[in-house]
Amino acid sequence: MLRCSGLSKSFEKELFSNFDLELEPGEIIAITGPSGCGKTTLLRCICGLEKPDSGEIYLNDENIGNTETELRGVGMIFQKPVLFPHLSVQGNLRLGDKTGDIEKALLEVGLADFEQRNVASLSGGEGQRVALARALLAEPKVLLLDEPFSSLDEDLAMKLVKDVRAILKQRECPAILVTHNKRVAEEFADSVISM
Amino acid sequence: MYKFTAIVVLLIFNLATPGCLTESIDDGEPVKPEQYEYTDDGELVIVTYDVYGLTDEMLERFENQSGYEVSLLKLDDSGSVLDHLLQHKGLQVADLAIGLDNTYLQTALDNNVFWEHNALLNNISDSALQPYDGPLAVPFDQGYICLNYDSEVVDGENYSVPTSLWELTSDEWKGKVAIPSPETSSPGRAFMTATTDYFAHDEDNQSEWTDWWSAMSSNEVIITTGWSEAYETRYTGGYGEWTDGHVGDAHIVVSYCHSPGVESWYNGNWTKSAALDISRSSFHQVEYVAAIEGGNLDSASAFIEYLLTPEINSMMPIENSMYSALEGFDLPEENGYRFNSVVPDEPANVSSATIAKNMETWLEMWNNAMVDA
Amino acid sequence: MLEMKFKFSNSCAVLAYTLLVILPLWLALDRLIWVAGPNPIDWLSSLERNYIAQGVVQFTFIQALLSTLATLAIGLPIAWQLGRYKWPLQSLTKAILTMPFVMPSIVAAMGFLHIVGRAGLNIRIDESTWFLTLIIAHAWFNMALVIRFCEPVISTLDPRLEEQMRLLPAGSNKIRRFRNLWAPLLAPSIAAAACMTFVFSFTSFALVRWITLGENTLESVMAGIGSSAGIKGYMVSRNEIVLGSSMIQFTILLLSLVLMSWLQQKRQSLLPQVSEDIVKKSNPRGWYVIGPGLIFALSPLIAVFGASFRIRNTDSSGTNYTWETSGWEYAFTSSSSMTSAWDALYNSLGYAALTLIIAVPLGWILAQTILDLEEFNPKMARALDVLTMLPFAISSVMIGLGVMLGMIKIDAEFFYSFWPTPALAHVMITTPFVVRIMLPALRSIDPSYDECGRTLGIPKWKRFIQIQLPMLRGSILVAVIFTLAMSLGEFGASWVVTRNSDWTTLPVMIDSLKSIPYNNSLTAPAACAVSSVLMGITLLLFTWAEKFRPARDGGMF
Repeated sequence: MLRCSGLSKSFEKELFSNFDLELEPGEIIAITGPSGCGKTTLLRCICGLEKPDSGEIYLNDENIGNTETELRGVGMIFQKPVLFPHLSVQGNLRLGDKTGDIEKALLEVGLADFEQRNVASLSGGEGQRVALARALLAEPKVLLLDEPFSSLDEDLAMKLVKDVRAILKQRECPAILVTHNKRVAEEFADSVISM
Repeated sequence: MYKFTAIVVLLIFNLATPGCLTESIDDGEPVKPEQYEYTDDGELVIVTYDVYGLTDEMLERFENQSGYEVSLLKLDDSGSVLDHLLQHKGLQVADLAIGLDNTYLQTALDNNVFWEHNALLNNISDSALQPYDGPLAVPFDQGYICLNYDSEVVDGENYSVPTSLWELTSDEWKGKVAIPSPETSSPGRAFMTATTDYFAHDEDNQSEWTDWWSAMSSNEVIITTGWSEAYETRYTGGYGEWTDGHVGDAHIVVSYCHSPGVESWYNGNWTKSAALDISRSSFHQVEYVAAIEGGNLDSASAFIEYLLTPEINSMMPIENSMYSALEGFDLPEENGYRFNSVVPDEPANVSSATIAKNMETWLEMWNNAMVDA
Repeated sequence: MLEMKFKFSNSCAVLAYTLLVILPLWLALDRLIWVAGPNPIDWLSSLERNYIAQGVVQFTFIQALLSTLATLAIGLPIAWQLGRYKWPLQSLTKAILTMPFVMPSIVAAMGFLHIVGRAGLNIRIDESTWFLTLIIAHAWFNMALVIRFCEPVISTLDPRLEEQMRLLPAGSNKIRRFRNLWAPLLAPSIAAAACMTFVFSFTSFALVRWITLGENTLESVMAGIGSSAGIKGYMVSRNEIVLGSSMIQFTILLLSLVLMSWLQQKRQSLLPQVSEDIVKKSNPRGWYVIGPGLIFALSPLIAVFGASFRIRNTDSSGTNYTWETSGWEYAFTSSSSMTSAWDALYNSLGYAALTLIIAVPLGWILAQTILDLEEFNPKMARALDVLTMLPFAISSVMIGLGVMLGMIKIDAEFFYSFWPTPALAHVMITTPFVVRIMLPALRSIDPSYDECGRTLGIPKWKRFIQIQLPMLRGSILVAVIFTLAMSLGEFGASWVVTRNSDWTTLPVMIDSLKSIPYNNSLTAPAACAVSSVLMGITLLLFTWAEKFRPARDGGMF
């Protein structure tokens, strides 16, 4: 489980200070707030892409504040599906886990037989599913999601929200979603925090 | 940021007060024989310019006879050879230098770039030894530098044969005279030296030699870097006509008094080029071969010996288009070689001591004369 | 903000660059000033006080100016036709027309020499024809710049803009349209092409050396007297001339760098976003421009190749020509007085490979360092950026002199027996280009790719191989090919440094062969034979580069 205490970060102005967070195993929470309030930065601090000014982060009682991103075991889904254009769907998935079961992973996200597809030909929704499959193949201890649904149209987004929640719950993978859309937050998460 | 600017300022300052690490070439004495240190690596590296006489056959014969492997470091002209010797002093890049003449030699000697060879020599003619007879450089050929003219063009109708150098400053010769530069070419430097003597004895015009050069500069004289550009590319009277790059805008050129003989030899006893024998306008040139200090003395000396053997040196007129340096060998008679070659009655009389003392100043004066025209 | 860990590799790269590139130049300058004295007025005035340098500055400027005008006059119509209309084999046509730019200058010199010389049209009469030939040769080289810079703009202009223009009084006739639409649109590209053409013509060496007898540019004068430089008390005036010439060159080149970067910004905003779905017509009358253009682009190369087989036979009855391969045989056999073309080829390829191994990684790391620095110390980043561009402002002869004089100062004996020494000059010349190619390429990679890789637990070295490398493949290949081509064709610096037969490269060998005086009828064909070899390799590299070039860059490479 994930525990953050006293996280503070300022960049020209104060983004957040003394922020605490606790995530139980299998729990999904969402953090909402207007744009620019620092939600993305918070996520980036948790996964190690940025360093907070102060505070600690514990994952399964281990202080990961000084660990490299690559070694933290924290996965992340970005706003746009970051799929490597020089690799196929299969190639992208292999980046998550070289020896994993690609077929099963694709099935899990509802994209059976997509292995050989060219990533440029995927729609926004399909792309995020692949990104999810890839992230899950890496067996993260926590999954962070940085507004992955906001660039999709409403109906598609809601379908995806339901599917992703189901997958995460089935795996008992704790997750933190950041979004400015209250509805998405409520559908996706067990509890919602406002920033 | 400040550290950075400080460093930059320091570096610029250092540039303005230069060279604590650099030193001049040499203030010392020539290396004595007892101090000789060199390795005989079985090779002979010769630094020279494109000397016709160093044919592949001649070099291969030497290689077979002596067992040394020869390679040539070919530069543009005598000036480049001298530059090379000075730049690479002590670096043991080359073993032998060929191509400095009696107007270039002194600078090399002053800077101790040569050392004594141990070749066995005999029968070198007095005229070849006259400018220098010391142990540091050996003459291997000689000749008289003088003006040549294209007798088909200079036939008395459009152009008349000049009888004095001042005539060349007239309008009819505008842009029609080609002279190699004394700064880079040995025939060029030899000719310039001759003019210092010519104008010292010129009764008609009480002028300085530099005045003449200034006048030539105004008269669009063609100054080339080397002899071959002047003779081959520019001159209309010589073999250059048959070469690809020929331009042919000059009818008078500085070359050798025996160059018409050479033309005749190759053309089967016919030449349209003729030597211009005006008193004191020609110069006795001797060309030297010398062992470079620090180089392979054995292979260098072996080559010097080879070059001065009668078999090889007697072939100088044919292989190298120059007179032999040995006593008793003249130009061949066949094909009108000897007939068409002129031996000047009164070449310029400039002693080696005078050359040694004045050459640097002369070159400066020459440069200023050409610029101030 | 990401905390910057200045990695060991970054420091190594900057240090290596400073040692390899900056230091020799520094030492060379130091040595020259030690001989010539620290007074810049002396250096500049020496150009007028010395006979060999008289008139050089004027000649350099005038021929560069006229070359620029000629290039625009020839290049613009071609760019116009290419951009406006449809042509069969479009990319091939464009490739042929832009190919002259990558040709080694010595090959071009041989080509033009054989077209106008006695073996060709025989119009090489006097100074005015040589001068004209030089101008045209420069235009031959640089028309590629005009085409590369202007054609994309012409080609992708939204047709609606032009249609709109025709309906307005400001566009009621062709001249008006040109003045109000095309001229402002193309002005930055034309200016950039003119600027670069001026620079290349200004620093011209091989062409000046061979085509205009007796005339010198600052570059060729420096090359000619460079061997006399750096010796205390000997030919001091020559050191002054070198310093004066390099000062002038440096100033001009620096100004043009500044101008180019300013123009670059303007051009970026004008590069239209419209895709190329515009339907183009074909223009049969345009063949009057494109046809001669193609012939013009190809003729020097054909001339060189042909001349390599044409042997002149002269005897008392006259001159005639036969077609044989003896020129090639002569070039490829070695003798005591001349290395064979095989050795020169070996040296050229060796130096090119060595340059590649050093310049590409070095340039890459420097580009990456600049990017990394931009995040936490932008001033340092800018400084490093400028530092990597410094060699652009230094001509190739000066770089050669830098290597020669700089190396003498450090340890002459070592460097004169160290075969890789000339490659140093090549590294100095090519590394800035690698930085220039890699920097925008690295910038274009979205940082999220790397971040995503990190969140997936992929370690840095694996991210480099599996993510960065494949995504940069096109640019890396262009950098590689460009470095190879530049090294193989490099003339100025190599000419100054490799006056030693062991190290001769193909371009220097071509020059040496052609310089051999006397009536040997094989030397000119041999020079052409070696030129053909160099030409062939360059063409090969050029075609590969064309395949991998990013389509719509409108840039120089």
